[in-house]
Amino acid sequence: MGLRDDVKKVLISEEVLQARVAELARAINTTYTDADRLLLVCVLKGAFMFLADLTRHLEVRHEVDFMEISSYGAATVSSGVVRILLDLERNIDGRHVLVVEDIIDSGRTLDYITRNLRTRRPASLRVCTLLSKPSRREIDVPLDFVGFEVPDEFVVGYGLDFAEEYRNLPFIGVLKEEVYQGSE
Amino acid sequence: MKAPDAIERVLLDEGAIAARVCELAAQISADYAHAKDVVLVGVLKGSFIFLADLARRLTVPHHVDFIALSSYDRGAVSTGAVRLIMDTRASVTGRHVLIVEDIVDTGCTLDYLLRTFRARKPASLCTCALLSKPERRQVEVLVDYLGFEIPNVWVVGYGLDYADRFRTLPYIGVLKRDVYE
Repeated sequence: MGLRDDVKKVLISEEVLQARVAELARAINTTYTDADRLLLVCVLKGAFMFLADLTRHLEVRHEVDFMEISSYGAATVSSGVVRILLDLERNIDGRHVLVVEDIIDSGRTLDYITRNLRTRRPASLRVCTLLSKPSRREIDVPLDFVGFEVPDEFVVGYGLDFAEEYRNLPFIGVLKEEVYQGSE
Repeated sequence: MKAPDAIERVLLDEGAIAARVCELAAQISADYAHAKDVVLVGVLKGSFIFLADLARRLTVPHHVDFIALSSYDRGAVSTGAVRLIMDTRASVTGRHVLIVEDIVDTGCTLDYLLRTFRARKPASLCTCALLSKPERRQVEVLVDYLGFEIPNVWVVGYGLDYADRFRTLPYIGVLKRDVYE
């Protein structure tokens, strides 16, 4: 298969990934109660695959809502300000909110999203991310549930893309340099 | 995982769904083997679990895009009027578009989507749905890749909800009648 040939190495195999997702779900199950009526906020597009697997392991009562965001381009990178293409369907005033992300890199986008959500007065606001790249962090953002800390490599798969490709790989792989060099 | 009290019975278990998703993915992969520039359009919120599992089984390179729709209706009776909340991010003109839905009920939503996307002149336009309720159909729509035909019962799980609940059950269950009546 062509897409897999572009992957230099498998960083996190499907089995390891699935086991960790189940563990994260158990941690979430013990953090919240049914009475909390937990609301998971999925940030599209990258987190949809993680969300699909994570939520199927959740036993605590919860609902799911989506946000899709897009950057304004290079000029606003340092501020983390993003354009909200799709906002939440429901008001989160008084709700227990858990933001579900695929990866936290500089932390700027997450910081912007959490500041935006906090203005809506949720009862609590936590963050669950599958991956975190601490070496890339530019702004300190608290992460409550982290799947894996990964080195600063170009990772794809399980929702993460390069130019919209590789999202559907069932594992996390490192992309070969020649695939992304010269294109950015 | 124990079934919530609101579930009358399991209609399709995890194993049956996974096996059928594999079959659909194999069929789609074969049909699109020579297609360049395939885009799966997932209809939120219901299709996200199906899409996540289907995409992982596909061997053809493809992009994923999402649209969000809302009905103008409240309650169980549908008039078929659809409001587009979020459009696809990328243009679909000249591309091979596969719309991914959780369920085809009256057919109104899918009919709206087909008309909307056809006007954008894709290279091809097909539909994939995990479930279909033929008894409920008001508008004739072609589902190219269908997981299961089911009877006219209220189903939840694997993306399908009742008032936003039970959406992420890993199986398709039938909701007890007294829950929604």
